[in-house]
Amino acid sequence: MSEASATASFRSLPVRPILLAIAVLVAIAVAIFAGGKVIAQQMVSGLMLGSIYMTVAVAFTLTIGVLNFLNFTIPTLFMLTGMVAWGVLSRGYLSVAGGWGWLLALLIGIAVAVVASLIVERFTFRYLKTRHGDATEHAIPLVSSLGFLLIFEHLVLIALGSEAQRFPVPFKADLYAFGLVIGLPQLASLLLALGIVATLTYVLKRTRMGRALRTIAESPDTASLLGVDVARIVPVVFILTGLLSGVAAALFTVNYGDVSPFMGEHIGTKAIAAMVLGGLGSVWGAVAGGLLVGLAETLSIHFLGGDSVQMVVWGLLLVVIILRPQGLFGASAIGKAKL
Amino acid sequence: MLLEVEGLDVRYGRTHAVKALSLQVADDELVTVLGANGAGKTSLLRALQGLVPASAGRIRFGGVDITRMSPPERLRQRLALVPEGRQIVISLTVHENLLMGAYCRSDSDVRRDVEGVYDRFPNLAARRDMPASVLSGGEQQMLAISRALLARPRLMMLDEPSLGLSPLLVERLFDLLRNLRADGLAILLVEQNTQMALEIASRGLVMELGKVVLEGPSEALASNDRLAAAYFGHAAQHAG
Repeated sequence: MSEASATASFRSLPVRPILLAIAVLVAIAVAIFAGGKVIAQQMVSGLMLGSIYMTVAVAFTLTIGVLNFLNFTIPTLFMLTGMVAWGVLSRGYLSVAGGWGWLLALLIGIAVAVVASLIVERFTFRYLKTRHGDATEHAIPLVSSLGFLLIFEHLVLIALGSEAQRFPVPFKADLYAFGLVIGLPQLASLLLALGIVATLTYVLKRTRMGRALRTIAESPDTASLLGVDVARIVPVVFILTGLLSGVAAALFTVNYGDVSPFMGEHIGTKAIAAMVLGGLGSVWGAVAGGLLVGLAETLSIHFLGGDSVQMVVWGLLLVVIILRPQGLFGASAIGKAKL
Repeated sequence: MLLEVEGLDVRYGRTHAVKALSLQVADDELVTVLGANGAGKTSLLRALQGLVPASAGRIRFGGVDITRMSPPERLRQRLALVPEGRQIVISLTVHENLLMGAYCRSDSDVRRDVEGVYDRFPNLAARRDMPASVLSGGEQQMLAISRALLARPRLMMLDEPSLGLSPLLVERLFDLLRNLRADGLAILLVEQNTQMALEIASRGLVMELGKVVLEGPSEALASNDRLAAAYFGHAAQHAG
């Protein structure tokens, strides 16, 4: 009995996020004292970039964890948010909103991503599942989501052109701490991204809906036996996917100030790397993976030049999965760990 | 009659798993379905809960036609299934598994009922916040049954609950089923343990290749030669 309660209280502590926060702080402190400010500054930028990868990686993790579905439309949802926001803003539709037009534009972009995600659910996932049941597992939803990726991308190309565009961000405020420059939008992004992930973790672990989602992740049949209307809950996953991708894109747009019809592909591939690096199916794994990929990217640009980024990121991924196939935070073998 | 099944057919592609099966269970009755592996018992229960569609026939439960209802809708009619292999959600804790049992409920008695489970099974109480994967086979079966009971069913169906349990635990399981029946719960029990199932059941059905070949009061079935034949004679011939 005493052994049981000891284990229980240990389990209820959010161990992984705490470890992660400590690791990040220690790394930055070491960088400041040992490597000098330039490297520490790169690490700060890396973490900010990583917070965007992390948000997209969590979107991937959610669909993989609950639905066993690698959703290739996520990069498109990301791009849709940025391009739609730029589109409505640049055509002056939002002049009524005055100085807040940029924010309204981004919110519209996020809403479009959510709607697009629901369209994907309706016409790939739900249609295929109800028509053909388990025969369609993995390959067909995956390929049809790839189809949606290209269709949405080319719709945007036709409607808004293929050029990268400046998205006017009205504010630029920096914070100075320990001799480092921290962009206020960047800091806000990191906090917002972490807040979203923490909320999502809470929903998954502590609510009725979260328990239902985790049960579906393990066995849709059992969930159905316990009274979970699986077909009604699946759209929730797609809404969350659209929201996470859209919010990540809004943060990216505010921080880097430009959008393009191809912005999703860059982010999407790195987010997939981040997810696998952190451990498939683990939300906090996606967080750790996202931050690591962001760090790897800015540090490799600093030390090795811009062309080295992909090699460093994917090289790191290969090394990690050779040494630890379940990823850094994955609980068990690939594909078995579920949220 | 609580459950009335008429002319039920279940097909998986070209396999005809259940053929024109009729079955009735009264309000506080314990009925057992016996038969060799592959006789169609599991298919019958899955079709009754709605996990596989009935290709023909009609299922009425509590006077309502549930033939076209989804499994969650049937659960809300208070028909529950404890599936083959228990199907505990191993990535959820013991407590979360129990809460999932009450997923279909919105009343305020859930907490009290979950505490009732812990009073009944102190082993589950001691492991309430551990992942359900740490439970032994017997504890998992207790969890699976408790989880089904938390939906407050009028009829509970169990698919081979004694499978893989030690003789001592099988005794405890059948005691539990006997008590539940005494409390007024109707039970439809699929079992391989013929002798013990017939001891607690009032009636039994014997299935062979998707059909009911024998039906009657338990005492009559226990002494019927055809029962042994269903397990060893015909089934073996067809399997061979």
